Amino acid sequence: MKDLILNIVPDAVIEEKEKLTVTVEPKQLHPLVKALYSNKELPFDYLISLIGMDWGDKLGVIYLLSSSKDMSREIAIITATEDRENPLLYSITDMYEAAHLNEREVYALLGIRFINNPDMRKFLLAEDWNGYPLRKDYNDDPKLNPITIANKEIVDIAPFIKEDEKGNLVEGTTDIFEEDDYVINIGPQHPSTHGVMHFRTALNGEVIKKIDVHSGYIHRGIEKMAESMTYPQILHLTDRLDYLSASNNRHALCMCVEKAAGIEVPERAQYIRVIMDELNRISSHLLAWAAHCNDLGGTTAFIYGVREREHVLDIFDKTCGGRLIVNYNVIGGVMNDIYPDFQKDVKAFIPYMREKLVEYDNFFTHNPITLNRMINVGNLSYEDAVSYAVTGPAGRGSGWSCDVRIHKPYSLYDKVKFKEIIRTEGDSYARYLNRLDEIEQALQIIEQLVDNIPEGEFKAKTKPIIRLPEGQFYQSVEAGKGEFAVFIESKGDKSPYRIKFRSPSFAAVSAMPIISEGELLTDFIGIGGSMDYVIPDIDR
Amino acid sequence: MNPFIKYISGIFTALKALIGGLRVTWRELWRKKVTMQYPENRETLVISDRWRSELHMPHDENNEHACTACGICMNNCPNGTIKVTSNMEETEDGKKKRVLDKYVWDYGTCTFCNLCVITCPSDAIQFNNDFEGAMYDRSKLIRQLNKPGSKLREKEKVEKPAAPAKEAAKPTEAPAKKEEKKEIAPEAKKADEKSSDKENK
Amino acid sequence: MNYNQPLELTGLVSNLHEFFRDNLSPFWATLVEGALVLLALLTLYAVIALALIYIERKITAFFQSRLGPNRLGKYGVIQSIADMIKILIKEIIHIKEVDKFLFYAAPFFVIVSSMLTFGAIPFGQGLQAVDFNIGIVYVLATSSIGIIGVLLAGWSSNNKYSMLGAMRSGAQFISYELSAGFALMTVVVLSGTMQLSEIVESQRYAWNIFNGHILALIAFIIYLISGHAETNRGPFDLPEAEGELTAGYHTEYSGLQFGFFYLAEYLNMFIIASIATTVFLGGWMPIQIKGWDAFNQIMWYIPSYVWFFGKAGFLVFLSLWVRWTFPRMRIDLLLNLEWKYLLPINLINIIVMVVMVLMGWTLSDWFPALFGN
Ligand code: SF4
Ligand code: SF4
Repeated sequence: MKDLILNIVPDAVIEEKEKLTVTVEPKQLHPLVKALYSNKELPFDYLISLIGMDWGDKLGVIYLLSSSKDMSREIAIITATEDRENPLLYSITDMYEAAHLNEREVYALLGIRFINNPDMRKFLLAEDWNGYPLRKDYNDDPKLNPITIANKEIVDIAPFIKEDEKGNLVEGTTDIFEEDDYVINIGPQHPSTHGVMHFRTALNGEVIKKIDVHSGYIHRGIEKMAESMTYPQILHLTDRLDYLSASNNRHALCMCVEKAAGIEVPERAQYIRVIMDELNRISSHLLAWAAHCNDLGGTTAFIYGVREREHVLDIFDKTCGGRLIVNYNVIGGVMNDIYPDFQKDVKAFIPYMREKLVEYDNFFTHNPITLNRMINVGNLSYEDAVSYAVTGPAGRGSGWSCDVRIHKPYSLYDKVKFKEIIRTEGDSYARYLNRLDEIEQALQIIEQLVDNIPEGEFKAKTKPIIRLPEGQFYQSVEAGKGEFAVFIESKGDKSPYRIKFRSPSFAAVSAMPIISEGELLTDFIGIGGSMDYVIPDIDR
Repeated sequence: MNPFIKYISGIFTALKALIGGLRVTWRELWRKKVTMQYPENRETLVISDRWRSELHMPHDENNEHACTACGICMNNCPNGTIKVTSNMEETEDGKKKRVLDKYVWDYGTCTFCNLCVITCPSDAIQFNNDFEGAMYDRSKLIRQLNKPGSKLREKEKVEKPAAPAKEAAKPTEAPAKKEEKKEIAPEAKKADEKSSDKENK
Repeated sequence: MNYNQPLELTGLVSNLHEFFRDNLSPFWATLVEGALVLLALLTLYAVIALALIYIERKITAFFQSRLGPNRLGKYGVIQSIADMIKILIKEIIHIKEVDKFLFYAAPFFVIVSSMLTFGAIPFGQGLQAVDFNIGIVYVLATSSIGIIGVLLAGWSSNNKYSMLGAMRSGAQFISYELSAGFALMTVVVLSGTMQLSEIVESQRYAWNIFNGHILALIAFIIYLISGHAETNRGPFDLPEAEGELTAGYHTEYSGLQFGFFYLAEYLNMFIIASIATTVFLGGWMPIQIKGWDAFNQIMWYIPSYVWFFGKAGFLVFLSLWVRWTFPRMRIDLLLNLEWKYLLPINLINIIVMVVMVLMGWTLSDWFPALFGN
């Protein structure tokens, strides 16, 4: 691997840190990534995350790449520019579709523009936002960005900056839509966007011609907030990303901090954490199933799904004191020990849920209307799934083996037996079935663990103030919607220098335009349901 | 397969699946409903012990609490929800001592992360189960948790909080410091809770 | 054979009629009678709609493991009255840049169409306002006016969602109108008349659905499906598909105008059920078995309008059951279902029916002693 890199970029700085880290000049980034991307045996074709950084003297990006063939192989590529006035880096959107929205996000939050990205509008922030929030010298005076109640027109014109053959930079604009397109707004207030999402949709009759994704209506700047909080404090924000996978997200951050600070987590806590993760996955998939059915017009199914989910929430409620925002994992273990009846309740839930899964099948899965509305609808090919970095049940519905629990096992996942559910059809129906099957797998994992929870401490003793050593730390988990990753850059303080969450929903939404193109408007909603994105996860 | 047979068999498989669906709803029609009738079932409603609703500071029958006004909870709160103000008082033996003046908690900005409770070295605060927090006036969200005239519970010997998180998980268990108090503590505390709740409302 | 019918309203109706004839000039008598009938129909219309709204909410809730409205009155029975009052006193929001005339006219088209149809339904013995000799054609014709209202609403709202909803509605309605018409024609062939009262009369001993056995059953199912589709109720509710079109053609309507659409929707559901009852299930006719006079007498003790509402109620229940079990169709599936399945089956059905009637293969031909009129 090193040889390959040095071959392309002889003066690259290669460090063996937690991940193989390569630092290159901006000019050399694109050739290097291209070589890794088109590497025959192990193509690095999966962009896990694209992390914009402000190092004070330099503005840059960390590219976290992995391979769809072997997810355990990861490489971090760092590039930076010293120009703070007009920082320019090269885009990698020609290889990774996932980079489109990510680069736009970096532009909005750090002001770095990417050469050759065809659409350099701000993502997550309004076009007229003053300042770049994630820069360290950001001025957060509310006067600069007053809250207005005036109506703002949406301008469908995208600026870009590109390099022509001679190597000169040319700036220009493109129109997103054609002049006589019939554009309707799906969102931001709309019954079926699962939150405050906004799709500008050009229609041709009822057939979708083009979709433009707008997001950020509930952007809270969690990454920015976290920079001024201590690690235990940041924990309470992760529950509020993808609130349906609260435990899983929090598990990721806890593990990342524990790994960096060298905290050993007691066995008992591990068991409890994994059980909670799987319960959370069940609740997430149940709601996804319910909402998907509701999107297809099956209101009754929605109520059934939520009814079953209530049983999981009751268990959460008794264990953690919260139902949705469970607030359970803490650094070094879990907040409370399980309550005395925990095992009994969980064991009662397993057969109940199995019975209901059969009922769901009879009720919805085989219904001819359902089949017609899902089979061969919203096709996401394997290549697209990888390129858009769509993981989770959706990615596995396209035949991509991308379960973090298998490829990068954490906690107890290398000890339990379960099957990775993979379907190759890539349509809505594959994603739908994947979720139902994963509920069954989660039940099996819980079954293996719930009787064997060892005695002992449920939380390791930690120092009152947790400082992480200097360095960069990564941790991924399999959340309900896909790979959720945490990146922390620490300067040895009690709060992170930069923290970045990779959210699976972000990728799912970025793939929406391609999979719904050419489908009917009706199906667009169903496809959205099958991708199962959660807006707060996108609008971190 | 002959397209005509396929056409006909398609109709029948579809009908079969449709009837399967209808059977599920039909059975549901006669099952017990899951709706909880909330205000009516107040009496029987079980809220789990750990449920985090309102922060409160247990006082015992002598109107004493355990807060030493150290401010750790205030510093740990991610949202600046807690304001602890204290006075310096002189004790009989001439030492200066910090005494809690006001302990103010803002229901409106609390995110129920429980950090204040698990970090408090004296177990002076807990979450209770009183989930009916809706009110008409926003100013009522800001509450003073220490009661007027209350004071710090005298300690016979400094006791380390044993497994603070575990304790915090059981809000009905008062942090009893004295041997003889241990027995009466839970009841007294409950009465306490009620009266303080009334005040809050 | 004359049966004792203690609770029938026929006597009352004819007494009133005679009373007016005796005391007023023919012109005034007709006028007063007309006004009374109108009043009775309007009241019935409102009462049925409110009752249906309540029933639907309650039954839906039971299907969904919920309790449904239960706060107002015992079991929430006055919930829909309260809702009606709310809708009546709600502000009608005036939308800028709508086509005013069409926008305000649209709800009336919808409600008038359903009222016209409503008038032709025989609710019981002697309880029918208009009884044309081409009753079925009349019913088909008037119920089709409603679509104009829907199209106008969508067009004039100046809203893209409404527009799409209305266009879908148009395509859907016109397609399913065919099937509904053909299904009814099948029965017309069977009973040999288009007059609703005579159709009911002809089913004294054998309901059409039995008389025409398999073929009539097929026609019945097709009629129910297409009736469902015509009234835009799930799984065919795509014109107002909440998921993508927020509320479809009536997105921009508020207050009473929305109330009109809402009422008409429920009433149309009832109208479809009543036509199906009249045409296939013997209408208000009680269950009669030839020769069993004692049994028949007992059946006649139950008044005819109870029979009618009972049968229609059963069909309404079916419609709710289907609606709350199945997901929504997609426009192409919907048209597929109509043009590829229902219509061809229907056409064959009607031809076979003609043959059957000509050859005397109906039940009443086979067993005249049991089922013959
Ligand atoms: S629970 Fe969390 S947010 Fe609420 S007061 Fe305590 S520390 Fe602050
Ligand atoms: S409640 Fe606890 S942490 Fe907070 S000031 Fe009092 S003693 Fe200190």
